[in-house]
Amino acid sequence: MQWVGTAFPDLTKLTPFNEGGQKWVFSAVHPSDGDVVLKIIHPNQDPEAARREILAVQQIKSSRVPEIFETGQVTTPVGVCVWIRERRVHGISLRERLQQGPLNAQEILRLCLHMLEPLVLAEQAHIVHRDVKPENIIVDPNGDFWLLDFGISRHLTMSPLTRASSPFGKFTLGYAPPEQLRNVQTDIDSRADLFALGVTIYEAAGARHPFLSGTADVAEIIKRVESLVLPPLLLNCKASASFRDLIGAMLQKRRDHRPGSAAEALDWITDVIEHETTAP
Amino acid sequence: MDFYLQFGWGMMGMSRDLIRDWNGGTVILSPRDLEPKQLEPFSKSINTIENGRVLFDPQFYLPHSDHIRLRSHDYWPSAYSTGAFFVGPALDTLLSKLKHLNDELDSAAAILPGLLANEIDGDWLNIQNAILNAAKKANFSRPLCQTIALSADACRSEEQIVRLLEHSAQWKSEVYYLVCEHPRGSYLVTDSLWLSNLLDVIAGLKLLGSKVVVGYSNHQMLIAAAVKADAIASGTWMNVRAFPPEKFREALEEEERRKATWYYCPQGLSEYKLPMLDIAKKVGLLDQLLPVNMPIESAVALLFDGGQPSTVGLTEPQAFRHYLNCLKHQTGVSVKQTFDQTIEEHDRLLDEAEALLKTLTGSRIKGQLRDFSEAIEVNRSTLGALIATRGGVLRRRWSTI
Repeated sequence: MQWVGTAFPDLTKLTPFNEGGQKWVFSAVHPSDGDVVLKIIHPNQDPEAARREILAVQQIKSSRVPEIFETGQVTTPVGVCVWIRERRVHGISLRERLQQGPLNAQEILRLCLHMLEPLVLAEQAHIVHRDVKPENIIVDPNGDFWLLDFGISRHLTMSPLTRASSPFGKFTLGYAPPEQLRNVQTDIDSRADLFALGVTIYEAAGARHPFLSGTADVAEIIKRVESLVLPPLLLNCKASASFRDLIGAMLQKRRDHRPGSAAEALDWITDVIEHETTAP
Repeated sequence: MDFYLQFGWGMMGMSRDLIRDWNGGTVILSPRDLEPKQLEPFSKSINTIENGRVLFDPQFYLPHSDHIRLRSHDYWPSAYSTGAFFVGPALDTLLSKLKHLNDELDSAAAILPGLLANEIDGDWLNIQNAILNAAKKANFSRPLCQTIALSADACRSEEQIVRLLEHSAQWKSEVYYLVCEHPRGSYLVTDSLWLSNLLDVIAGLKLLGSKVVVGYSNHQMLIAAAVKADAIASGTWMNVRAFPPEKFREALEEEERRKATWYYCPQGLSEYKLPMLDIAKKVGLLDQLLPVNMPIESAVALLFDGGQPSTVGLTEPQAFRHYLNCLKHQTGVSVKQTFDQTIEEHDRLLDEAEALLKTLTGSRIKGQLRDFSEAIEVNRSTLGALIATRGGVLRRRWSTI
């Protein structure tokens, strides 16, 4: 992919970083912005989706979401592509981290807090991430967590890009709540992200996925997501009971049984952490 | 949790006496059981008691009904057509008349008319919206209390309950008056799903910041304390202890009232006909039916004075008073400082009732259809479902709802 270097002459140390079904990702160094990530969206992807991803990050303005420095379009040998240049966060994905074993109680509490902070800002901007999962979370060398990839985020004030008649919406199986799986568009709000974060935390605490482990097929996973009640998540910490309740609430099948908003969940985890640090 | 009197047949004097004895309280007036000319004087007699309050339930559950007493009230529309009524001036007229009536009665809050939902569908939700909007235009000079009246089938459907709760977030009513038909017309409910959904509705409304009054309740609804309902309302006859839509449908002959006096044993959550108390005495178990840790009236105390209970002359009104006094006491102690303590309290109530009923049943002493034995597991499983679905949030928000 020599054309990348030609198209972005100001970037040095361009190194392929990752390639998914929707984009090519490179790490690079920018003369003024330093370490960056360059994402080039495949030309077969809807440019409107890319535009919305950019808009989401710009509107949310969270210190836990890598900042976008610049965006544009580039003509490539495979067609015209939208590109995004953003801050590179050094660290590993939570998925890679979990391959080493589960997080300890303090790390779990921190993960919950750090993910709820951007989700509250997203909620205020009427945006649902819709793809919270270990692959989209980076843990940096300081132990801070970053939320990535608003690629399938939903802007509640804009018309949806997925047709309402589709039996299934956009989601990652095992993390999306029932209403997102079933593409009930009017029911998708920030509480969908609370469910996905609940699954992520549950997985991170046990290093096993509560809905995917041991399943044979997609239908069984969907059935589990829609009906399996998980045992309470018990951490070895002073605020264990309250945290168990928070995660239990976030994992409820019905969104009206979850915390009423990401803001409510953030207040909750803040209290949990305060109790954890001040209780004798 | 507070306890309101649900007015029914023959409750005028008893309501006044009880409200006076209780140093205040609320009576929900029933236009089905009160003539127009009786409303204002009766209301005044309650309001003049210190801390006495009235609410007026317009009982507009089945507006097609042909109930002579309901139609005799000035606010009841002379012509009703479902389609036109809720989009035309007739609804404004109804609300305007109800505002006037609530002013005359000096009610504590205005209970709004609410249609019985056979199904919680778009039409019913739109009608609820129309009523609420018309009420806001009518400028009631008191808090509004929105009626939610559900058929047994609607209350059994989780899908419909979710629709109701999702929609109620837009209503933001200060108070809800919830009345739900019991499945299969039963007095004590043995359908866990119905009870669980009912608690879910109350919890959902409470978590949205509203108050909830559960009308037409009996002692099984003490479980509403688990979701911090603000009040339950009950009365004398069974038709004010369970919501019977049929009673508002047409001009029935005055119901045949079976003359049997039932004694309520609060720690057993069960009621017994007096001859059954005779048997309890004979087998040495009568003392176990004596209320524990709550005051009883002398007429009831006589049952336990050594004579044959059925011969001491406990009258039906005295038995009713005893029931209502007990329920007033039980509601008063049902809500505790925390969610867990409240659940423990209800569990304790169920355990105690279960142990007693086991002993009594062992001696063939049963409360027939008013025996709580079958309802115990229903209440227990309902609490289990509540803890699993809403326990965490209720535990956290208990002090603020």
